Amino acid sequence: MSNRLTVADVTLPLAPVRRRLLSRRALWAYLFVSPAILALLLFTVGPILFTFWVSVHSWNIIEPIYQMPFVGLENYRYLLTKDAVFVRALRNTFVFAICGVGINTVLGLLGALLLNTRLRARVFWRTLFILPIVTAPLALGMMWAVLLNKNYGLVNTLLGLLGLPLQPFLSSPEQALACIIGIAVYQYVGYYIVIYLAGLQGIPQEYYDAAAVDGANRWQTFWHITLPLLRPVLLFIVVTNTIGALQVFDIVFAATTGLAGETSGGGPAGSTMVVVLHMYNTAFKFFRMGRATAMAVILFAIIFFITLIQLRLLQERR
Amino acid sequence: MVRRQLTVPTIARAVLKYLVLALAGAWMLLPFFWMFSGSLMTSKEVTSLPPPLLPAQPQWHNYADVAQVVPLGRSYLNSLLVTGLAVVGILFTSSLCGFGFAKYDFPGRNVLFVLVLASMMIPFFVTLIPVFYIVKQLGWLNNYAGLILPSVVSAYGIFLMRQFILDIPDELLDAARIDGASEFRIYWQIILPLIGPALATLGSFNFVTTWNAFLWPLLVVQSRDLYTVPLALNSLRTYGMMAQFQHLQMAGTALSVIPALLVFVALQRYFVRGIALTGLKG
Repeated sequence: MSNRLTVADVTLPLAPVRRRLLSRRALWAYLFVSPAILALLLFTVGPILFTFWVSVHSWNIIEPIYQMPFVGLENYRYLLTKDAVFVRALRNTFVFAICGVGINTVLGLLGALLLNTRLRARVFWRTLFILPIVTAPLALGMMWAVLLNKNYGLVNTLLGLLGLPLQPFLSSPEQALACIIGIAVYQYVGYYIVIYLAGLQGIPQEYYDAAAVDGANRWQTFWHITLPLLRPVLLFIVVTNTIGALQVFDIVFAATTGLAGETSGGGPAGSTMVVVLHMYNTAFKFFRMGRATAMAVILFAIIFFITLIQLRLLQERR
Repeated sequence: MVRRQLTVPTIARAVLKYLVLALAGAWMLLPFFWMFSGSLMTSKEVTSLPPPLLPAQPQWHNYADVAQVVPLGRSYLNSLLVTGLAVVGILFTSSLCGFGFAKYDFPGRNVLFVLVLASMMIPFFVTLIPVFYIVKQLGWLNNYAGLILPSVVSAYGIFLMRQFILDIPDELLDAARIDGASEFRIYWQIILPLIGPALATLGSFNFVTTWNAFLWPLLVVQSRDLYTVPLALNSLRTYGMMAQFQHLQMAGTALSVIPALLVFVALQRYFVRGIALTGLKG
């Protein structure tokens, strides 16, 4: 397609002239792509190579990079065998991602099915679910920390009115991670709904008409038409959101740092520590860049693996 | 479709449907309601047990008082500047680069495009420490350059723009060339006006992400003069730990979320399409 003959090519009589003009166009193209490409090289491609390199060194970010002592895989060994906080953070991150994505995969589908029925003011209802997506995770984390305050929080007040026992929520090691998951479910459910809705609206009406003619009930229609046809959407949602959830930081930071004297966040008692928060603390509170980048590499490897699975599944479909 | 009849099960189902929606909607609004309501209460009201649902007397001065605790006005200007420039930058670099990939043949094009695709798969946290180091070496710590420049490029934006520009017929560009337009003028006067909806999608999306960004500003900014709104909010958060500042924290939170909400309401159509096309990174 790109080699297609253009009007300019045809109207130019001499081959040497044409070649010169074509290369002039190539020069323009280089000019057009270079700002973005240079920025990508400087802020994405270069840095990721640098991350791998630092992860096998010991570095405090202040000493010159050519003086970093090489330590081989020591950082990785330390993280996986000696750094209990990292292992805990890895586990919490997985629990967060699996629960959060799992719950929202189901809730989002239910919400989308509901919004896809005949409905008055559909855009209004949809807007309600999208509001938390455009709100800063930091602000939402703060709003929920207030609502879930064990002393004067509104949620405990509601529980009290219903005659239920009051809960410690974010201040209890047993409940804090569940609260964080709940906040994330609240924040991202609208995102799932929007994607599911796009998927639902892509299913041709004829299929449903045919099913109605055959006398299929709602459940059969859902199970044999809607769900199989939503499979690619479902796969996309699960994979992209698992990747996103593994990088959680803002919500945890907002809801847990400073709480009961926990300066580094992830509390109480490390029950909500996640990988990116631990990486942040390791790098910018303790200046152990080698360990922090090794954490980044481990999490990135996990995400990369998930991406490969996604590509494999997408290929199987074709 | 089969025409629906107003039978009892149909009505019951409709009632149930709206009831579920209303309950879910109330749950979605609850934090926003409490934030606005609490922002107008006295500090006593907001921390009393049980708290009142609405303030007895709306304390509008809370919104002025919060600016005494943190430099909220200055943060607003900073955030507007940073977000505005970053969005314009992303729109410019992405559309220009997407145009180059979509409409020109040049040596190395495929290699460079693979580079863009690969960059799309690299999460932010993996490059965080090196980018911080680079910005530090360039002397951009604690200034606007450090806040803005690392976010004026988006691999996804390049990809999106290329897809949109591929659909524009080549004949249009050739006609302009015959009329003597330069290649840049073709970009400026033909391509840009035609990809308006794509720009709105990418722009609204990036406005929200940049406005809400927290981790990067937290690293780059040290002085209060350069606080963006999330940073001001974060310092309010430490005050909010003390019960007597709770109401001010809520007023600050309310002020901070309004711009992103406004952009969303104004550009909802494009924003929703942006979500359907890609996904927000969490």
